[in-house]
Amino acid sequence: MTNKHHDHPGLDDASRRAWLRRCGVLMASGMGLGALAPLAGAKDAGYKALVCIELAGGNDGLNTITPMDESRYAQYANVRGPLALPKDALLPLNSDYGLHPSLSALVTYWQQQKLATLFNVGPLHEPLTQQEYLSLPAGSPQVPGNLFSHSDQLVLWESSTSDPMARSGWGGRASEILGTANPVISLGGNSTFGVESLRTPLVLPFAGALFGATGLMAKDMDKRANALRRAAMDALHAQPQGLALADAYTAIHRDAFVVAERLGALVASVPGDALSSPAIDDAFSPLFDKSGLPGTPTAAQLYQIAKMINGRQIVLGNRQIFYARQGGYDTHSNQVDDEDVTQGTHAGLLRELGDALAAFQRAMENLGMSDEVTAFTQADFGRTFASNTSRGTDHAWGNCHFILGGAVHGGASYGTYPQLVLGGQDDCSDDASTSQGRWIPTTPVDKYAQALLHWFGLSGDQIAAVLPNLANFPAGRLKFI
Amino acid sequence: MTTRSSRSRAACLLAIASVALASCGGGGGGGDNATSARADGARDRHAEGATRAATISLADANRLAQQATFGPNEAMVADIQARGAAAWLKAQMELKTSRYTSGGDDSIDRHRDTKGAFCDTPPHDQEPDCWVRYRTPEPLREDFFRNATTQDDQVHQRAALALQHIFVISSVTILRTYGLRNYFNGLMDNALGNYRDVLRTVAMSPVMGDYLNNVNNDKAAPNENFAREQLQLFSLGPCKLEMDGTLTGGSCQPVYDNDMVREYAYAMTGWTFPPGGGDYRTCRLPGSNCQFYTGDMVVVPSFHDTNARTLLSGVTVPAGSTAPQALELVLDSIMAHPNIGPFVAYRMIQHFVTSNPSKEYVTRVATAFDKGRYSSDGVPFGNGTKGNLRAVIAAVLLDPEARSSAYASSTKGFLRDPIMFFTGTLRGLNGKSDGRNMGDWGEILHEDIFSPPSVFDFYLPSYPVAGTDLVGPQFGIHNANSALDRLNFLNFLLFDGGAKAIKKDPNSLGTQIDDTAFLSSADDPDALVDRLSLVAFGHVLPTVSRQPVIDAVGYWNEANAKNEWRHKRVFTAAYLVYGSPNYEVQR
Repeated sequence: MTNKHHDHPGLDDASRRAWLRRCGVLMASGMGLGALAPLAGAKDAGYKALVCIELAGGNDGLNTITPMDESRYAQYANVRGPLALPKDALLPLNSDYGLHPSLSALVTYWQQQKLATLFNVGPLHEPLTQQEYLSLPAGSPQVPGNLFSHSDQLVLWESSTSDPMARSGWGGRASEILGTANPVISLGGNSTFGVESLRTPLVLPFAGALFGATGLMAKDMDKRANALRRAAMDALHAQPQGLALADAYTAIHRDAFVVAERLGALVASVPGDALSSPAIDDAFSPLFDKSGLPGTPTAAQLYQIAKMINGRQIVLGNRQIFYARQGGYDTHSNQVDDEDVTQGTHAGLLRELGDALAAFQRAMENLGMSDEVTAFTQADFGRTFASNTSRGTDHAWGNCHFILGGAVHGGASYGTYPQLVLGGQDDCSDDASTSQGRWIPTTPVDKYAQALLHWFGLSGDQIAAVLPNLANFPAGRLKFI
Repeated sequence: MTTRSSRSRAACLLAIASVALASCGGGGGGGDNATSARADGARDRHAEGATRAATISLADANRLAQQATFGPNEAMVADIQARGAAAWLKAQMELKTSRYTSGGDDSIDRHRDTKGAFCDTPPHDQEPDCWVRYRTPEPLREDFFRNATTQDDQVHQRAALALQHIFVISSVTILRTYGLRNYFNGLMDNALGNYRDVLRTVAMSPVMGDYLNNVNNDKAAPNENFAREQLQLFSLGPCKLEMDGTLTGGSCQPVYDNDMVREYAYAMTGWTFPPGGGDYRTCRLPGSNCQFYTGDMVVVPSFHDTNARTLLSGVTVPAGSTAPQALELVLDSIMAHPNIGPFVAYRMIQHFVTSNPSKEYVTRVATAFDKGRYSSDGVPFGNGTKGNLRAVIAAVLLDPEARSSAYASSTKGFLRDPIMFFTGTLRGLNGKSDGRNMGDWGEILHEDIFSPPSVFDFYLPSYPVAGTDLVGPQFGIHNANSALDRLNFLNFLLFDGGAKAIKKDPNSLGTQIDDTAFLSSADDPDALVDRLSLVAFGHVLPTVSRQPVIDAVGYWNEANAKNEWRHKRVFTAAYLVYGSPNYEVQR
């Protein structure tokens, strides 16, 4: 898997925006601005937002949060070999753990107790020991399906099940059970995370983009030709199709017109324009590129999410789940630079992630929304303890993740750090001579989701309905939030 | 407003277009009629076809064109009706003219970077588009849209595209135009050949080797990337399958575990870039060649694992095997596995015909894969070698489930993906494109053809469609935003005039429709809307939605649009027809 960058040789950002403008984007200037000015001051009682950031490809957690105590660091360096980060390059969180140096922007949030870490979390059907894993027959329902496959593991994480054929995500099911005004709002595609039984995720484009059909919007209806065309389009999509996929298609379409009218101006607003929020723009400004827009895909996604949170009177609803995705983490080769282990592909990805998360947290604090908004990471899987001869790592299982926000009981770690021994108790292999070190999770995704959803406001019964496998695990909630 | 005479004219058009009807003097079933005459030279072929081919309605001929090509137009549909489905398909498979030819050559990788980057070095520093021609997929995108909208070997190109959605690489990390070109020509060359040859071509490709990290993969501790995705995405999938595509035993029984993936990883070690590259920074590893994408990967014996390896299907790689020997055994193990037929069948059916085939349909196509042969209407396809792609594609396209309008199931069809939507609209409206604007539109609709976000392509075969029990892969990139952006593409193409051809540049086509043929129907909005509906999806709109479309079209007249009114009517009709769910969801 690889990262999709938005550079486009021959069409730089300035020309792209000029082109978008020609196509009738950037319509903010045409709307009644007063009615849409962002709120200042009073918080809405009861608003909460969850922000999921998926590290697609499978982030290497071992080089993200690395043990610093002498004996474990030695175990780590010994097996990691050429991929081991130098101890003095790590950014200490405490005497036990340090962050990859590229995550420097997050250290302050650990110190302010707004950043927590969760260790060795991953999909499980039920608690699983190494011996059980090794003795259960292939395809056993007691073990999550299709381990080590990107697409299947993403579904397991996003659905919080052990079934790679799951058709909905826990973000979607939580939204459905609460009856939220919107489905999951996604800046990172149609992932299963936001799929519900009836609604698809509301996927929004980046700031400055058009969310609407030229010529068919409310402002175009004064021309009869447009009004007739819109009426025809509405009639075409009101028609029952007699075909399930076509009826699903028309449902998305009918909804699209309505939502676009509501959100179009807010989506299109860019830093510094009449609809923008200085609180958000100031927080993200260190990450702007020369066209004045957030310069990385992750920052661009979190910027839009910040806008939607600030614009919640327009977005509607007092509970909203958001989803963002950063790709490129599948570092089978060249995970690190051959001359400087602290640089290279993984370092670049973490730099983008840490800086964007920090900007987002700053924005939430500027808006006074820090206690109401919680961001968390997830990924397909962690990566192998041992590196390969391509200077990379391969697919594994249990991983470590971050939770960030004012409500988080940060400055602390949760879950259990795996034993860094090939073939050891946490490894899914008991043969040290052939194992690459893939940890069986000791905390299931279900527990991760449970804690977040409890904070988000779901009742115990609602949580049980959203997370069907939760009952397979011992009672008790993680306390990171 | 329609008069009685224009209503009967509209009915006449319908009748003429439909071979089965016999009114208005249009002739009876299969007979010489205006439809055949419209297709140049079709009359002779029709005469010989009529003795053998089953009668094919306009609706079914149109459906076949939607399924098998980049989009129907009036001439093509008439040709299919004249020849019959099987004969037409056979003739199509003999046409293999399209290739990728544009963009810079491999000198960018021969370059020794002693004085700076390639595009900064004379004479390339004088080329304003050096970067675009040597490092991006833009030239190939231009070839793609030009070929798709203008070249006759439609089935060949569609077959290559089907393979492109399986054997995925991406320009996001492969930054060499010539490398991408070589790779996609490899798929084009094998698209109507044999699946085993596709697997081998891909496994030996230095472009794929780079993309999935098998180049320079070393026996000491090989990475698992290519080995895993070759099994998971290119050939067998992770779960055991029956011939009908269902899971063996009703739940996922793994085809392989991680240890097996590692056996394949070891067996596939031992390859490096072909010689010719000049950037020393890419060949620091002793024994390796520098980055170079011309030709196949070459063997480095010291990289290759020589232990015995146990593969699937009872195949073993004996100790001491060479890398090429191991590769052939890898291919043997894959081609012998029971999954290969249903795996390929299911994906081919999803690409051409329907997202949710019946079990029986999958079985029939998987059988054609295994037998290497298929026959319809007395027309044979394939040479009897397992994996023959002509047999597979013929089985997909000529199957009753694809062909028969009597196969009425509420679960059939699929959402037309953006690439097919672009080309289908252009072709239906007698247009063409040189692809120079299509990168932006592809990106807006999340399907920029050579730039998928990962080896998992733009969307997965299993993407669940909310509100149904079905899968719809193309729904994986479809949402409220892209629904409206499809309309914005139509707005660009029709009301904004698309992109004009650059007069000074003989290679420039722009992205343009040609409404000339349709102007003659513009005086009668009913007739115009029906005619475009027939071109787009082979039947007229349902009554309730048809009238508002006619009203929107009929609005334009000389008073409000001067002498542009006929064009406006055609644009409006085309916008509504090609933006309708009736077109967007292929049935």
